[in-house]
Amino acid sequence: MKKYIYLSFICVVNLLVSCTDVIDVEVPTADPRLVIEASLDWEKGTLGNNQTIKLSKTSPYFDTNSSNPVTNAMVSVTRLSDNRVFNFANNNDGTYTTTSFEAVFNETYQLDVLYENEVYTATEMLLPTTEITKITQSKDGGILPDAIEVNVFFDDPDNETNFYIIRFQNQGDLFPEFRDLSDELLNGNEIRVFYEKRGDDENDKDNELKPGDVVDINLFNVSERYYKYMQLLNSQLGSGNPFSPTPVELRGNCINATNADNYPYGYFRVTETDERVYTITEEN
Amino acid sequence: MKLKLTACFMLFTLLLFSQENYTISGTVKDFSNGELVFGASVYLENTSTGGITNAYGFYSLTAPQGTYNIVVSYLGYVTIKQEVVLNANQNMVFELEEDTTSLDEVVITAEESEKVNIRDPQMGVALIKSATIKQIPAVLGEVDVVKSIQLLPGVTNNGEGSNGFNVRGGAVDQNLVLLDEAIIFNESHLFGFFSVFNADVIKDVKLYKGNIPSNYGGRVSSVLDIRQKDGNSKDFELNGGIGLISSRLSVEGPLFKSKGSFILAGRSSYAHLFLKLANEDNTAYFYDFNAKGTYEISQNDRLYLSGYFGRDVLNFDDAFSNSYGNSTFNLRWNHVFNDKLFSNLSFIYGDYNYRLQLGFIGLDWVSNIKNMNVKYDFKYYLSNKTTIDFGASVINYNFNPGDIKPLDSDSAINEDSLDKKRALEGGLYANVEHKLSDKLNVQAGLRFSIFNRLGGQPIATYLNDQPVVYNETLGIYEEGTKTGESDYKKSESIAKFSNFEPRLGLAYQLNQTSSIKLGYSRVSQYLHLLSNTANATPLDVWTPSGSFIDPQMANQYSAGYFKELQNGKFSIETEAYYKTVDNRIDYIDGSSLIANNNIETQILQGESRAYGLEFLFRKNKGKFTGWLAYTLSKSEQKTPGGNAGGPGINKGDWYNTPFDRTHDISLTGSYKLTNKWSLSSNFIYQTGRPVTYPVGQYEYEGLSIAVYDSRNANRLPAYNRLDFAATFKPNRKPEARWKGEWVFSIYNAYNRKNAASISFGQNPDTGANEATRTAIFGIVPSVTYNFKF
Repeated sequence: MKKYIYLSFICVVNLLVSCTDVIDVEVPTADPRLVIEASLDWEKGTLGNNQTIKLSKTSPYFDTNSSNPVTNAMVSVTRLSDNRVFNFANNNDGTYTTTSFEAVFNETYQLDVLYENEVYTATEMLLPTTEITKITQSKDGGILPDAIEVNVFFDDPDNETNFYIIRFQNQGDLFPEFRDLSDELLNGNEIRVFYEKRGDDENDKDNELKPGDVVDINLFNVSERYYKYMQLLNSQLGSGNPFSPTPVELRGNCINATNADNYPYGYFRVTETDERVYTITEEN
Repeated sequence: MKLKLTACFMLFTLLLFSQENYTISGTVKDFSNGELVFGASVYLENTSTGGITNAYGFYSLTAPQGTYNIVVSYLGYVTIKQEVVLNANQNMVFELEEDTTSLDEVVITAEESEKVNIRDPQMGVALIKSATIKQIPAVLGEVDVVKSIQLLPGVTNNGEGSNGFNVRGGAVDQNLVLLDEAIIFNESHLFGFFSVFNADVIKDVKLYKGNIPSNYGGRVSSVLDIRQKDGNSKDFELNGGIGLISSRLSVEGPLFKSKGSFILAGRSSYAHLFLKLANEDNTAYFYDFNAKGTYEISQNDRLYLSGYFGRDVLNFDDAFSNSYGNSTFNLRWNHVFNDKLFSNLSFIYGDYNYRLQLGFIGLDWVSNIKNMNVKYDFKYYLSNKTTIDFGASVINYNFNPGDIKPLDSDSAINEDSLDKKRALEGGLYANVEHKLSDKLNVQAGLRFSIFNRLGGQPIATYLNDQPVVYNETLGIYEEGTKTGESDYKKSESIAKFSNFEPRLGLAYQLNQTSSIKLGYSRVSQYLHLLSNTANATPLDVWTPSGSFIDPQMANQYSAGYFKELQNGKFSIETEAYYKTVDNRIDYIDGSSLIANNNIETQILQGESRAYGLEFLFRKNKGKFTGWLAYTLSKSEQKTPGGNAGGPGINKGDWYNTPFDRTHDISLTGSYKLTNKWSLSSNFIYQTGRPVTYPVGQYEYEGLSIAVYDSRNANRLPAYNRLDFAATFKPNRKPEARWKGEWVFSIYNAYNRKNAASISFGQNPDTGANEATRTAIFGIVPSVTYNFKF
């Protein structure tokens, strides 16, 4: 929510000036670290048995071949209440999969990764996710006046503090967009989250959402820590504009139990998700 | 304390010897419009008795009985020399006439009168007259005070489109900006593109970069003291200008049979300021009004009433609407108790407010700071060797960090109010300026400041008294665990602070044309601007010191060498400084400041230090005038974990502040070509702003994530720019009242794309990482027509 305030300033400055160009910059490169992308998502209405964890290493910022898979690790997830272990099979391409994961609400799960004789670990609790109540499209509900936006609605429970991550991906786009949201100013209300796309300037309609576009939507209820992680991650995407905070190191919930200084990046999350697909129509 | 006693002792001994002397006192005015002249030198020829007029044009000289020639001079004006028989105390008013016969152009005068300048123990100060500011080429032809002071050594800012300015490696919030004594909390229009000061109503601008005199307090880096004109007390006068982005008009004239005067001025930019916004639904503009009136009740009493109101208005398709600005009001009473004691009593009210409406999420947010200030200042001309300034001030602050409301019935926003904060800041000061010998001058001051954070709000309590805690396992700083709240009544005090702030300056004259100076100052600052962005934004919130935030304390040491060449035609000023600031606020990784009621959970307090060497070479007289300023400096900060545990921010290491500039060069000059044409130019070169570049990347959730490491370890490319301006005054009959001039200017003549920022992100079409530079102004030609009637 608060991010919108910064976001709007960035838009204003872009409107005022916006003389931007892509330039060559030399950047330093730090020693590589392990990256753990362990997103165990349990889609509403499914069993959630099939799960994948990705391991990679960081690479120089402008390397075009950015995926630097880690293929020699051992990965497992343990349900702490009954010590049930789910081993993830190594596919030798940086992905590790299981077909037998059992998702249970409010259970705490622990991730263990053994890589180069060091143990990486993290824990997370599985939270139920609020249901999406409706999805609409409109033109005048976003920041851009004439661009089509998709609106996702859900009801925030008023007796608790909630944190949400909403993922949008227009099929065919190279990467998704995330929204981070807390109910701090919205507690107990029907919440609307919108997704619109903007081009390089106001007349660039090609990059906006068009009828026929298909948008994948995921809503996740997440822990406060993960919300903060995604908030910082989001705010640092394309950071460096005059009104963005000084970018800082993004640390997740995974630690190196063997050698603390060799900490990994990434996050271990276990969440339920409400997943929807919405097709933009000609009508409004 | 010791210092104070010594000062008192000095006073007594001096009193004993001040017999059989007489005093001449009075004011110095400008002949053409009756404006009081600040900084004119008044002295008795062939004696060491002399001084400069204060901000209200007042002077007082004391000398033994006898006949003297009194000399009144001010650069650019005809010197007055007049015989005076000193056998009784007397009042004399001098009116200086502008020197129109010579081609001499005044560009900048730092503490008028060459001799006084060399002798004055005050260091790190620069006075700029409005006429000078108007000569400097300006972006889009809009004359700008804040931009002009950046041409001085030791003053920088974060480039185009950033608010405020930085003095000697200090932050924007460490500058005390005063307009007719009223505190201005945001000196910028439109995110720093323009300043809020209308050059047509400004008389002069004084910037203290170090050794801040003890009559000022509350900000650790600098004081920018801007005085508005009193208005022409002899004739009606109309001034105005029509530019490409804004127009302005001012009217001034006498009141009450020349016993008083007034000035009214307005300035406004056009609604569609930038061509990019050529859309009916978008507006971005600013306007401001200045008003001032004076009335001379008697020879010894004068009243001043002045006010300012300014607003910025931005509106984009109703999705985003924003307005903000300052309003100030000041009533002053000058009273001359006797020929040696001058006083000024001021009542000042200021209000800075801010409103933001976001249509697309239904948010309506209002915040403001109100302050009321009473000040009583005295200047006592004890003898021809000693003057004493003393006084007191009290400021009452009311902070409203934010009232949040739903914008309409569709909005999902719940109404909310952040805690309102109240505080009282008081100061008592004395400053003695004393000529110890013909060669040695001393300025010793002491300020006692108190700050009382008043109740009327709850204050959160935290487990182990830790609002921020270091999470050892994850290696990050996190919000502490809130255990409850203590409610403070309005009559209670939440926290109290008090500080003694000594200030000392010494000037030793080596010979007629050169001197060395030493300075020390200790200054405390009780208000803090919360901003974790590289550039301050108007929505950054000011917060007072209190239970969790200690006041900033600065110590500055400086030394300088001053030299005049060829009878003041050229001058050289060099100063070295070392400054430390304790309790500087720093922000933990991932800090979230907007609408946060518990800001203490996002910050740690550390220290900063800055040191540098400043060099200023000026040509003061002749057809060509101008200066070369060079600064070599360093500014860095460090924030250990302290009570929160852990290594601290940036692993507890020193890192560059965003205001660190290794090299800063400004070259500015004006040349009077003919009586019709004059030319001026600037060249600026600065080391790039410290920024944080990524040191790696990885893929997470389909996104390319940049890895960041140490803060501000990299730099933007160097900033440099060349500007030109030409002023054309068409032929006109000398008796014609209408006087017009055209100002043609080119900003950024070689169209350098100076990076205001470089952002790192993924190209949406290729997915590859790329660096995108944002440059604010390319080459900007402009034309302005100014007129006077």
